[in-house]
Amino acid sequence: MITEANLSAWYPVGMAAAVGPAPGRATRLLGRAIRLFADAGTVRVTDDAGHELSVCTAYGHVWACPGTPAGPVFALPEADQPGRRLVDCGRVQVRCSALRAVENFLDIAHFPFIHAGILGAEPHTEVNRYEVAIREEVDEVWATKVSFYQPQAARSATGGVDVEYMYRVAAPTSAVLYKTSPPRPGEWDVIAIFVQPLDETTCDCWPWMALYDDDTPLAELIQFQQTIFLQDRSILENQIPALLPLDPGMETPTRADLTSIAYRRWLKRRGLTYGAQAVAA
Amino acid sequence: MIEGWTALALSADLPPGVAVPGRLRGEDLVIWRSASGRLRAWGDRCPHRGMRLSHGFVRGETLACIYHGWTYDGTGACTLIPAHPDLEPPKSIRTQGYDCREAAGVIFAAAEGTGAALPDPGSLAPVRSLQMEGTTDAVARAAGMGTLADGMVRGTVDLDGAVAVALFLQTSGAGMTTVHALADRAPLAVSDWLERIREIVEG
Repeated sequence: MITEANLSAWYPVGMAAAVGPAPGRATRLLGRAIRLFADAGTVRVTDDAGHELSVCTAYGHVWACPGTPAGPVFALPEADQPGRRLVDCGRVQVRCSALRAVENFLDIAHFPFIHAGILGAEPHTEVNRYEVAIREEVDEVWATKVSFYQPQAARSATGGVDVEYMYRVAAPTSAVLYKTSPPRPGEWDVIAIFVQPLDETTCDCWPWMALYDDDTPLAELIQFQQTIFLQDRSILENQIPALLPLDPGMETPTRADLTSIAYRRWLKRRGLTYGAQAVAA
Repeated sequence: MIEGWTALALSADLPPGVAVPGRLRGEDLVIWRSASGRLRAWGDRCPHRGMRLSHGFVRGETLACIYHGWTYDGTGACTLIPAHPDLEPPKSIRTQGYDCREAAGVIFAAAEGTGAALPDPGSLAPVRSLQMEGTTDAVARAAGMGTLADGMVRGTVDLDGAVAVALFLQTSGAGMTTVHALADRAPLAVSDWLERIREIVEG
């Protein structure tokens, strides 16, 4: 169900570097057909009836808001830090709710099973206690002090390491993770997933990275992320129901799922029900 | 009325250590066989995040979900949450159970606690399963074997001599039927005949 809260949020609709002249890229947002195209040096997004959507460009992507924006696109100061390499990873279309895609991105317990040999490996399955908070001042969900053993944490990593993470839900369908940078252990690599809800059960995922890695060829960096996301897709297209249940009872969380619990609570409280299962009375 | 048994697969197609999807009266099921050969049918959903258990993996006498490795024993109780290996999973975490039995080389499932007797195809041997686009009634008509009883039609087919045949007809999707065929002889001829039935049903 589309709510005012859904309409006033920002959603990615394409890569900024790939916007061409009219008719441009045809796509969908919240079930509605839209186009994005370049017009005299600016990017425009219109629906089939010719209505203009609010538009901005940030973090390598074009963002659109179908209603009246509640504020600017979330801040990601790392995008402006010198020395970081900004990488657009393209698009992975998934037949699932955008909310399930975000929730999966926030989950570490699946690494040893779905990303076996890369982001995790049995028997290193334990998820240590971490901290989760809804930061009211920025209206975001944050998970901190997350750590996990990884056989190959990044394209630039050699051998297994304990990796530290922070997770952040920065917008209803966008999340950012911060993880130990293999070449610079004192710094965080930034990996984000910007999710475009095409309809309630289909989405385009636009991974984006801001890394300290000057050596790995671009194609390999993108290939690494695409591999991870394709592994996730095999899960996301096989969860029942396709819509994310916001009420407890339908699914059974455990302590490792604190981030997911907070995300669902945050969505419910804000009335962000597009892609969520109808809330029981 | 007691809900009867539905044939879901042939025993030979589900060896030990394997999990496959099944369908019972519109519900998605996982059917799996443990290393020692015990057969189970459950709702095809992990109670944790709703992932299909038919994508999971059998280890010994347990079935584990592929997503987070939550592991279920033969009673459907969760015995391991790998994210917290020292935690004893709450007893309330269980899969949705169904009754599952096999007879005459066919695997059957029914709602838990069914009192119905298993269908009896007599002394016929399993041939193969085949999915076709059409209703169970359309398949029964094409086979020329009268009306369904116990999810089964049976009769004699002339395939270079009379062959006794029984077909279990399972609704395996919207407008889809899976046929599980048994016969007293000539399995290759019966298999070809099934292909012809499919051509008739699918027009």
